Amino acid sequence: MSESKQLAKGLAFISPWLVGFLLFTFTPVVLSLYYSLCDYSLIQPPLYVGLENYSNLARDAVFWKSLWNTFVYAAMAIPGAMMVSLGLAMLLNAKIAGQGIYRTIIFLPSLVPIVASSMLWLWLFNAKLGLFNAILNMVGIEGPGWLTDVRWAMPSLVLMSFWGVGYTVTIYLAGLQDVPRELYEAAEIDGAGVWGRVWNVTLPMLSPVIFFNLIMAIIGTLQVFAIPYIMTEGGPAQATTFITMYLYDNAFRYLKMGYASALAWVQLLLILSLTAVAFWSSRRWVHYQGK
Amino acid sequence: MKGFKTIVIAGLLLTGAGILAFGPRAGAKAPAGRVRVQYWEKWTGNEGSQMQEVVRDFNETVGKEKGIFVEYLSMSQIDRKTLVATAAGVPPDVAGMWDAQTAQFAGIDALEPLDEMAREKGITRDYYKHAYWDACTYNGKLYGLVSTPSSIALHYNKEIIEGKADELRKAGFDPDVPPKTMQELDKRAEVLDTWVEDGGRRYLKVTGLLPIEPDWYLTSLPFWWGAEFFDGKTQKLNLTDPQCIAAYEWTASYSKRLGKVAMTEFKAGFGGFNSPQNPFLQGEIAMEMQGPWMANYIEDLRPSMNRWRVPEEKQARERNFSKLDVGMTRGEVEDVLGRGEKSGGDGVVWDAGIRTITVRFDEGGRVSGKRMELLPAKERRKYTQWGVAPFPSAVPGLENAAHVGFDVLCIPKGSKLKKEAFEFIAYVNRQEVMEKLCMLHCKNSPLAQVSENFKTNHPNPYIEVFDTLAASPNARTVPSCPIWPEVAAELTVAAQKTYLLQKTAAEALAEVDGRMQGRWARFRELQKARGNTAMAEAAGAAGAGDGAGRGAGEMAGTGAAR
Repeated sequence: MSESKQLAKGLAFISPWLVGFLLFTFTPVVLSLYYSLCDYSLIQPPLYVGLENYSNLARDAVFWKSLWNTFVYAAMAIPGAMMVSLGLAMLLNAKIAGQGIYRTIIFLPSLVPIVASSMLWLWLFNAKLGLFNAILNMVGIEGPGWLTDVRWAMPSLVLMSFWGVGYTVTIYLAGLQDVPRELYEAAEIDGAGVWGRVWNVTLPMLSPVIFFNLIMAIIGTLQVFAIPYIMTEGGPAQATTFITMYLYDNAFRYLKMGYASALAWVQLLLILSLTAVAFWSSRRWVHYQGK
Repeated sequence: MKGFKTIVIAGLLLTGAGILAFGPRAGAKAPAGRVRVQYWEKWTGNEGSQMQEVVRDFNETVGKEKGIFVEYLSMSQIDRKTLVATAAGVPPDVAGMWDAQTAQFAGIDALEPLDEMAREKGITRDYYKHAYWDACTYNGKLYGLVSTPSSIALHYNKEIIEGKADELRKAGFDPDVPPKTMQELDKRAEVLDTWVEDGGRRYLKVTGLLPIEPDWYLTSLPFWWGAEFFDGKTQKLNLTDPQCIAAYEWTASYSKRLGKVAMTEFKAGFGGFNSPQNPFLQGEIAMEMQGPWMANYIEDLRPSMNRWRVPEEKQARERNFSKLDVGMTRGEVEDVLGRGEKSGGDGVVWDAGIRTITVRFDEGGRVSGKRMELLPAKERRKYTQWGVAPFPSAVPGLENAAHVGFDVLCIPKGSKLKKEAFEFIAYVNRQEVMEKLCMLHCKNSPLAQVSENFKTNHPNPYIEVFDTLAASPNARTVPSCPIWPEVAAELTVAAQKTYLLQKTAAEALAEVDGRMQGRWARFRELQKARGNTAMAEAAGAAGAGDGAGRGAGEMAGTGAAR
């Protein structure tokens, strides 16, 4: 078969994906860049306004507030979730009876639909009837209004985000099982204790997996939307308004598609920048086997 | 192996073909010779099936006669889906939206004007209670007609008030008469607050009133202060009007009195509105703002509040009504209901508290029919543990001030069946149809004329209070302002900042004013640039030197809107 025929055949095979990508991803992305330079409500034709949407963004106090909230959330949720999931993965990697059951229990919450788990957590966080405050009351601590107190609403959402670490735990678990046993044996011969082995063997050997999870967490947390939208609707007093929620409100509640497109592009650039920083820093702390 | 693959593929193909041929369809098929009008609506559950009943009635009567078949499609996020479908050129013919969306969608030219068609059907402003009609118009044109409306009133718990009757009297109030002024309301609320001590800390057990529960009407609070955030006539946003500031400061006065933490913690313990843990149903709040639907929620979630002090024997009759069967003897009926109390009309009547049971007997003394009817609304009031009165205003002489809201039926731009769609909308607006729907949804009527049957047999015993409020000249709706959803979202945050004592009402509202005046001015400029004549006329009406783009300081001295 000639090369051109092979190419045509190859293209034909990937054409369903290619057409879908061009129509439903690439074209909307390009159009959204154009719309970000327009006043656009979906119904009326877009009206070109130059960089007005971007200059308005720079002066928009709610945008800055939502951006700050997003970063605060990311700063708490990313390291927190990484520590929790890595810790759980290490525990689940131990050879103990009922290992499979524990692994299933940890993974199960990831399968619960977001709306269902949000409703469940709304009850858990209820100041009067919720389980958390009931437990705190038993030990003589007066629990806060988790989702209604400006100081507690954000930490509450971070706490809830740990509920869905099952997928990350699975990836860490796979990474842990890939660490060569002889390295632990060598470290033990060299006199390394438990923490020494974790610090000098486990973490370096797991660093590519940690790096992957870090990138996914950056992308995920900077786009956090569904849980706060259901649980707090951005309140109280914008304490949990995140950038994606503000984008959504502008697009679908206020019918400002142009402004929402500008927000989306700023968000994309932020995610790209942070991901680039993570890649740049990875040269110092990510170790690949065989390199 | 090859044979196995062939069987699997053939099986899959057959399943697919079967699903295509016999699987579920998107909706009912229109009978031959009738055009199909697509009606998208937000209601599901009971409200959805009640509206479907109206659709069915239409299809069997007017629809049959005029060759129209309405297909009801229930969906979430109706506004967003209608917007996208309209943009794509395939809108529904009728969309059931929320009140604030009338001006929002009309302002961007997404709705069809209905004036001419309404005139042809004799539907005019005077056919309606004026507040509803005015809110269905944008810039002088009609863009929707009401499906079901509401008005907001003070709801109070008689049992809590009775428990504090002596203290109320000591404070100079008649516990049997609802408060008439805002000042009186606040003082009564203070008397009704109940605190408990536990471990050296004071907790709120019951509160007289919380301005933030429910928090749905925060942006309407200025109505009770004789002001409005938006003046439809001049097209100006009056966000820093002193009366608007006073209304928001009122929420902060409760935080200061009860303590911000006590107030937010107390609210944090409430269950959802649509749950038995609703604080009003739980007796945690003595007075609150609510709409006429509350009667339905009480009946569903805490029916005992609708049967206050009804003797158990009579309540048992109501519960046991379903056990009566045709053919039973008088003795068997009395085993179920007790002794019949009186003969009247067409049978023997039993008193079942808020209802009466009538059983007809044939010549042989056996049951030939039965029915159970609600007592007339006013007679039912003595059995409700709750009462309703106009929410008192803060301005002397401002009688029956109220927020009135509604669901609205619109025809999105681009509908190919405008006339047919309007036939259905006009049908819903017939007095008998509207009253049926409003009784099913437990709402007041938006129409000027209200029948005796509606007033007497409505499931809400206080429906006349709601009706009076809706007809009041001081009833106000969401403003006819295309950017109102955005302004309202900002005002809600301002209210939160105020009652959380993060900012004073003046500061919080000035912040919103600084953002929204410019946004409103720019919106109008861009619509004019698009050649949107409606918007150009609206801008003209506002006149030169309007409030657009003005700073908060300049607006601070503006008087009340009215």
